[in-house]
Amino acid sequence: MRLERIDEAVAVRADFRGGTATPLAFWRRGREHRVVRVNARWLDRVGQHPCFYFSVTVASGDVFELHLRGADLVWRLDSVSLEG
Amino acid sequence: MREGTVLHVDIDAFFAAIEQLRDPRLAGRPVIVGAGCIASCSYEARRFGLRAGMALSEARRLCPEAVILEGHAQVYRCFAEQIFARCREVAPAVESHLDEAYCDLTGTDRLHGEPLEAARRLKRRIRDDTGLTVTCGIGPNRMLAKLAGKTVKPDGLARIAAEEAESFLTERPIEQLSGVGHAHAKTLRSMNLKTIGQLRALPIELLEALFGVVGRLLYERCRGRDTAVVSEREIPLSISRETSFRRDTADRTEVEGMLEYLAGRACRTARELDITPRTVAVRLRYTDGESAEQARSLRVPSATDPVVLELALELLRRLFRRRASLHAVGLILSNFSSHLAEQGALLDEAEAGRRAALYRAFDGVRSAYGHGVLVSGRALHLKGKLDQDRHGFVLRTPSLTK
Repeated sequence: MRLERIDEAVAVRADFRGGTATPLAFWRRGREHRVVRVNARWLDRVGQHPCFYFSVTVASGDVFELHLRGADLVWRLDSVSLEG
Repeated sequence: MREGTVLHVDIDAFFAAIEQLRDPRLAGRPVIVGAGCIASCSYEARRFGLRAGMALSEARRLCPEAVILEGHAQVYRCFAEQIFARCREVAPAVESHLDEAYCDLTGTDRLHGEPLEAARRLKRRIRDDTGLTVTCGIGPNRMLAKLAGKTVKPDGLARIAAEEAESFLTERPIEQLSGVGHAHAKTLRSMNLKTIGQLRALPIELLEALFGVVGRLLYERCRGRDTAVVSEREIPLSISRETSFRRDTADRTEVEGMLEYLAGRACRTARELDITPRTVAVRLRYTDGESAEQARSLRVPSATDPVVLELALELLRRLFRRRASLHAVGLILSNFSSHLAEQGALLDEAEAGRRAALYRAFDGVRSAYGHGVLVSGRALHLKGKLDQDRHGFVLRTPSLTK
């Protein structure tokens, strides 16, 4: 497994029902990545504002990690995990 | 003595389980987390004889198909905090460590129900919240609770009643007794003592003569008695911050930068716990596997970065004399005093107070915006060499333990 850092702001379609955020799709370089599974979610409380982290599998089978910053509600794409 | 109820919660294959959770392609595969040696490995990897502490070269030989990951310390911390928060919902006192927690359930029956049922509910909640499994052991004291859990790993739940303690312990190997480390086990085995039951034959005087204070504890513990309480706020024996370099280095500015960064992290932890170290140690590991360590006491105990760093740099200069690259560097604070106001020598008392106040102000800023928001002195040399996030520099093998 190889982790490739991305670290860029992305547009995300998310479901906020039930008091939790669930990413449904995000756009990167003009391409839509549909989330087919949220693998894990965790909360990082360091600092005044929490960050909500997600590991997601997209339709292509790639596994991405992204987070929603509590301070400014910006979504950032952190990394993609590649086989090999 | 009052009968207590302690619940021990142990997160199964902690780091490796989180990696398998984050990437479902790893599920069912042998996964190792570690750099240099195994910090954690999945149960699939353990079937090949792999275990924590084993060198990665040996692990690769035993299990060539294992997936090796360097790990993500901050992610593990977040999961642990979530699990310990759940533990606090069922227990008034929780003592948490890296991947385990002791919960004092004494007297909580009326509030949370029978301990076995409360533990079952806790396991379910943790699994629903995090996707991770934990093993729970319940006993009349910490030692028995932990040992109960050991019999049903992973994802198990077991209880030992006080009256079952002696029979439960009798046939267990001597190494499983809390307080029997590698050296003590060797001594006991050389006396042909292999089980905890056999240890009971030794009189307390002999155990004290062999192991000092620990001997008295072993005398009690082999009979199932453990008086250690679940302590909500753990005062550590030492605070250690250690990491290997991404690439082995002999560059003094890089090594000193790393040492300054580690000193800052360790001192901040000490200040948060309101403890002041007297002893500072520096540990080096060279490329060829040789290591060196030296400790010295501060003139006056201090938890401010420059005071600790000054001594750490002096130790580094004495230790780092070989013409070889360094693989890892570490800093250890120990010999703590509690609630000690920062003092200096007679003539710079006021200066010491100002310095302590300054670092408390830094702590405030870092609590609000993350440790990485302030980088000091030599640690600036690490910029560009290491990845950074709001927690600070992303270390290759960060210390998660205190």
